[in-house]
Amino acid sequence: MDQNKKAAIAKRIRHILMILVLAILFIIVIFPFILVLINAFKVKSDITADPLRLIGKHGFTLDNFTNAMKKMNFWKVFGNSLIITTFSTILTIFLSSMTAHLIVRNNWKANKILFVLMIASMVIPFQVLMIPLVSLYGGVFGILNHRITLILMHTGFSVSMATFMFHGAINTNVPISLEEAAKIDGCTKWQTFWRIVFPILKPTVATVAIIDAMAFWNDYLLPSLVLKQKDLFTIPIATKVFYGTYSTDTGLIMAALLLAMLPILILYLFLQRYIVEGITAGAVK
Amino acid sequence: MKKRVVSLMLVGVIALSLAACGNNGGSTQGGSDSGVKITILNSKTEIQTQFEEMAEKYSEEKGVEVEVYNADTDTTVASQVATQYASGNPYTITMVDAKDIYSLADEYAYDLSNEDWASHTTLGITVNGKLAGFPVCVEARGLIYNADAIEAITGEEFKPENYTTLKDFTALLDELVAGGMESPVGILSEYWSLGAHYFAEVYEQQTDPDAFVNGLLAGTEDLDSNDKFNQLMDTFDTLKKYNYAKDSAANADREESSMKLAEGEIAFMFGGNWDWSVINQYDYTENMGIMPVPEDTTDGTNTTLVGGGSKYFFVDSSDSTSDDQRKAALDFLNWLVSDEEGNTFLTESCALVPAFDNIDAASLDPLSSSVKSYSDSGLIANYNFLPDDHMTVVGQEIMQKYLDDVIDRAELASQVEEYFKGATAIPH
Amino acid sequence: MKTNSFGYKFRQYLLFAGVTTFLFTAVVIVPFFYGLYLTFTKYDGVSTSKPLVGFANYISAFKDTDYWVSLGRTFIFSAIAVVLVNLFAFVLAYMVTTGIKGQNFFRTGFFIPNLIGGIVLGYVWKFVFNKALVELTENITSGNAKSLLATPTGAIAALIIVSVWQYAGYMMLIYVAGFMSVSEDVIEAAKIDGCTGTQSIIHISIPLMSASFVQCLFLTITRCFMVYDVNFSLTNGDPYGESALAAMHVFNTAFTNKDYGTGQAEALILFVICAVVGGLQVYVGKKAEVEA
Repeated sequence: MDQNKKAAIAKRIRHILMILVLAILFIIVIFPFILVLINAFKVKSDITADPLRLIGKHGFTLDNFTNAMKKMNFWKVFGNSLIITTFSTILTIFLSSMTAHLIVRNNWKANKILFVLMIASMVIPFQVLMIPLVSLYGGVFGILNHRITLILMHTGFSVSMATFMFHGAINTNVPISLEEAAKIDGCTKWQTFWRIVFPILKPTVATVAIIDAMAFWNDYLLPSLVLKQKDLFTIPIATKVFYGTYSTDTGLIMAALLLAMLPILILYLFLQRYIVEGITAGAVK
Repeated sequence: MKKRVVSLMLVGVIALSLAACGNNGGSTQGGSDSGVKITILNSKTEIQTQFEEMAEKYSEEKGVEVEVYNADTDTTVASQVATQYASGNPYTITMVDAKDIYSLADEYAYDLSNEDWASHTTLGITVNGKLAGFPVCVEARGLIYNADAIEAITGEEFKPENYTTLKDFTALLDELVAGGMESPVGILSEYWSLGAHYFAEVYEQQTDPDAFVNGLLAGTEDLDSNDKFNQLMDTFDTLKKYNYAKDSAANADREESSMKLAEGEIAFMFGGNWDWSVINQYDYTENMGIMPVPEDTTDGTNTTLVGGGSKYFFVDSSDSTSDDQRKAALDFLNWLVSDEEGNTFLTESCALVPAFDNIDAASLDPLSSSVKSYSDSGLIANYNFLPDDHMTVVGQEIMQKYLDDVIDRAELASQVEEYFKGATAIPH
Repeated sequence: MKTNSFGYKFRQYLLFAGVTTFLFTAVVIVPFFYGLYLTFTKYDGVSTSKPLVGFANYISAFKDTDYWVSLGRTFIFSAIAVVLVNLFAFVLAYMVTTGIKGQNFFRTGFFIPNLIGGIVLGYVWKFVFNKALVELTENITSGNAKSLLATPTGAIAALIIVSVWQYAGYMMLIYVAGFMSVSEDVIEAAKIDGCTGTQSIIHISIPLMSASFVQCLFLTITRCFMVYDVNFSLTNGDPYGESALAAMHVFNTAFTNKDYGTGQAEALILFVICAVVGGLQVYVGKKAEVEA
């Protein structure tokens, strides 16, 4: 009895200590965000002079937001980013989950080759592909400057990682007996996949969704190579206006950063409860 | 079954909307009153806003759609031009640095020598008999001073022409320190400033820069014993001694230093008239200017600034640009030089020092008016043929070390000599 | 229906992986081989002519001492960053799976740095190091403080800090998954046998979690080797060019120095190294997994 009590108290203290450590680490982790938040409401001279002050000498201002939104043509580029991110993410999820299912369930040579190539491609630095990509699709085929080109390219680049994650999830979480039962009931492979397999993959879908949506939403290099027309710009390309050649318009950048982050943060908060589950499934092969 | 319907619907929706996207993308390519649209790459990012406003007005008035793109700051302008050409999608007019013109002119620049404005400037760039580069503006480098801050301590009017020698200049700095300004100088630690702006003057102030640089490339020139090198480095040592960020030179970035200069906390900063766009973000005074870098020399290089044409437009000559577009591009360049509205755009909206003798420039900012007055009597020319990696190697790998006292002057000289022996010369 | 015939397999493959294969080939495989071809040409990135030059680009890549120095630097950076990222991630994962209050909040919170990407991240951190932290230390010590970015070692340290900050949360989630896959019974049994908490982690959890380790190490190693964005916006090689990592050097060779062929050749060498290191790690890890 007494010993149990002691153990309980020891456990309690350990937990409190751990919460303390975690809280301190958490504050360190979000420190840069707090800084962005504070400085987004200050004029540039106050940011340079006093980055830590809550409210600068020249007072609180919303100008950074209105100016940033106007200069970026915010709603237009926001719409572009939304379309591109949404469709690229959906396509990636559908295509890679189907591919992963095919690879897991069929021990064919073609599948093995595809899977090995996909894994190898994860270590190709993007710089290697940059010029060849634009010379082929711009110079030879002339299909740049369409949102659909970017959506398909995004998808092409991200299917490897996504297939890899679905591969792990199907391996561990989808009992083959379920699929066999469906087969006996007369389902085709296609039906089995959509009715039985895909619903089980929900946590992985959420994980892939958030990871890829984030990557597409924030990507700068690829969109900047593909979309050369202003009315097609995405948020990261439009934000570029604020980085001068030799200096940067700090206030506008902070404001733009907050504006750009908000949607993805909301999406994350919605999906976060699935994410741990999703990564669990992907991790254990 | 329900699930299947949902997934089919989803696929349908995607297919439809993707098709819609494709159409959207396609329809934006044409479309404007006269059907002619030209694109301009602006690599002078500080005037992007003014440029866009002008383009909007110009499009309305002339019926030619003008779209202005901001150069990417992650990469060099050259790399952006490279991907643009690789994708078969070049800008009609591209603004690049002087040295880029030489590498692009042969293949991609349209010959501008028959244009009316050609006779009004001496700063255009001609490559192999073809006038390829239209000078956007004049820019020059020197010591930027805050006269208010100096006068507050000395109590008399600041006349830069009295401080051309290092001795006189040092005396002034000492006076400022004695008067309470702890450290009157700011040196930018950015490598482009150290390499492409300050150290470049070592070549530019030689009597024959080209011969000197060729000598360095051939390994026959000796920096250690070179007067110009030593004079400029003597001055640099003085600037270092009075640098407000002496103990941590790397902290002194452009924003911080410009703020201190604008607000009079320091009195001098090495830079150029483009710095006004940063200085005027802070609580600045109009009583500023640029003066030549003081030097103990008798060759006259301490009486004027170093500079010249900065940023050049070239017009694409490839098949990707139609004749109509080219015509519109030429009209635009003409408009800048010969139309009053074009002039106002250059000198007033963008506060640029014009490179053409027929453009009147009365209302310039303080730094630009300094540049204008020196350039009227002749600047020391920019040297545009330094090897491509000069700025990063000499500016970053060598001068930053010298600024931080990691290497001494003898090592500085030998490292620069060593660099040139392995460098690739720019053909010209 | 014959499920063994070529026709059946072919139709199934097209149905499930056709589009994927097409897109993946079009944007990754084909440009990759075209890029390989470009390494045998002399190309400045803009010129219309691309004369074949044989192995000249590879020879100049091998002679480019700055490149090999930056590669060495990348090895050091990656080694330290990979260890720290995984250490932090593992410890965090342990703490948020002990059943303490608010563990879900912390799991969510530590992942947040992943929400902003690339270039912007570097600018924000540059601001933190150069302005906020300098100001903070000056306020505390009332003296002149030096930015961490002012010395080469400091700049590399800063890059490591940012990498840990950026990746630890993501890897934490993978380790959380690992911890959750180790069944309670095993741990209970170990406790009854007299294992302390630490002992049971070392002797039971870690071996059972080897799959998580393999995955985390693969992800961190490859990301660290290829880092460019943050390197560019945080240090841009300052000071003295001694914080430039391999990917950045490659980029500069190709575009700043307009030597596209050599840059591409250097990038391919980087790719091969990445692939070998990543592959080796997975191979060794899998082997350990089997033995465990």
